[in-house]
Amino acid sequence: MNFKKQFREGLLTNNPVLAQLLGMCSTMAITTTLFNGLGMGVSVTLILICSNVVISLLRKIIPDKIRIAAYIVVIAGFVTMVDLILKAYLPALSESLGVFIPLIVVNCIILGRAEAYASKNGVLASAADGLTQGIGYTVALVVMCIIRELLGSGTFGAGVLGADGIRIIDAQYPALLIILPVGGFLTLACLIAFSQWLNRKLAEKEEKK
Amino acid sequence: MKSFGYIFRLTFVLLVITVVVAGLLGFVNYLTEDKIAENTAKKAQEAMQSVLPAENYEEISLTKEHTDSGISEAFRCESGYVVRVSVNGFGGAVDMMVGIDQACAVTGISVVSHTETASLGANCTRADWQAQFIGADGELSVDKDGGSIDSLTGATVTSRAVIAGVNAALTFVKEVQG
Repeated sequence: MNFKKQFREGLLTNNPVLAQLLGMCSTMAITTTLFNGLGMGVSVTLILICSNVVISLLRKIIPDKIRIAAYIVVIAGFVTMVDLILKAYLPALSESLGVFIPLIVVNCIILGRAEAYASKNGVLASAADGLTQGIGYTVALVVMCIIRELLGSGTFGAGVLGADGIRIIDAQYPALLIILPVGGFLTLACLIAFSQWLNRKLAEKEEKK
Repeated sequence: MKSFGYIFRLTFVLLVITVVVAGLLGFVNYLTEDKIAENTAKKAQEAMQSVLPAENYEEISLTKEHTDSGISEAFRCESGYVVRVSVNGFGGAVDMMVGIDQACAVTGISVVSHTETASLGANCTRADWQAQFIGADGELSVDKDGGSIDSLTGATVTSRAVIAGVNAALTFVKEVQG
């Protein structure tokens, strides 16, 4: 188990959003304010760690033929628990993420990691995978949120730093387009291009060594 | 009978997993149930207080006609009425409270929950936009339709939905008053 390598994979070379292109639906829909991005990222990371650990523990018990059904039950269980806990203790976040919390059940990142990693590796390695992939997802979401919130609403940190956040661009100038799904695609495309460029630069640097 | 044993094992494993998960969910639900109900009730209470402050609200029973027009709850208090109405917005139901005084004028509106587009329709929760409804007593419509309400930029559908809700509440109160 190589935590450093896993961390780099989760963050850059195998980032769930930027490299594996998983979980696009929630990525487009909720990355409009920093509050949403952070909340979604942390929720997914928690669920990912829990489901990875449980699936890794059960990997020898679950017969191959019913593994997808078993994974979905485990994931749905954790998602519903997080949903209930958010509704009870963080109602504001629960409201603003709305249907996207229950939809984490069908978020391909979690099922993808269960199938590709947790079902083949030990408990600790799977937990580390959940954590690093979760951080990769959160970072990608937060970067998208910051860009879209700044260009689309002209604020920074709405929901985290006061209800309306810090106003950076006067209310009449921001480009509304960026907040709409179109803007999500544009932002994501630029971000993927940037991460690919960064990956190549880092790979070249390593080759030289 | 080897295949029977295999099928039995598949079913049994899945059953055990499902039962354990269901048990855990039941437990979490038990822990959070009261708190969630409390949050929902508190939110509705706050919305009622913000549109028409009163100490006691007395519920008015509704007919099927009323519920068909989107009204889900209605209350009578000393100074007037609070009507909870749900209308179709751009992205789903807009659930709101409308406060109306004895003279049939709007005292305030509050959006309890909605799923409108962020930064466009979602602006219907802004107090400065809602303020223009205060004092309204007749049939309302947006400026585009020749009315007096400034519609939200890029969210005419949401604006029309909120107005439809206020109109339904006004019609209801006029009917109740006779």
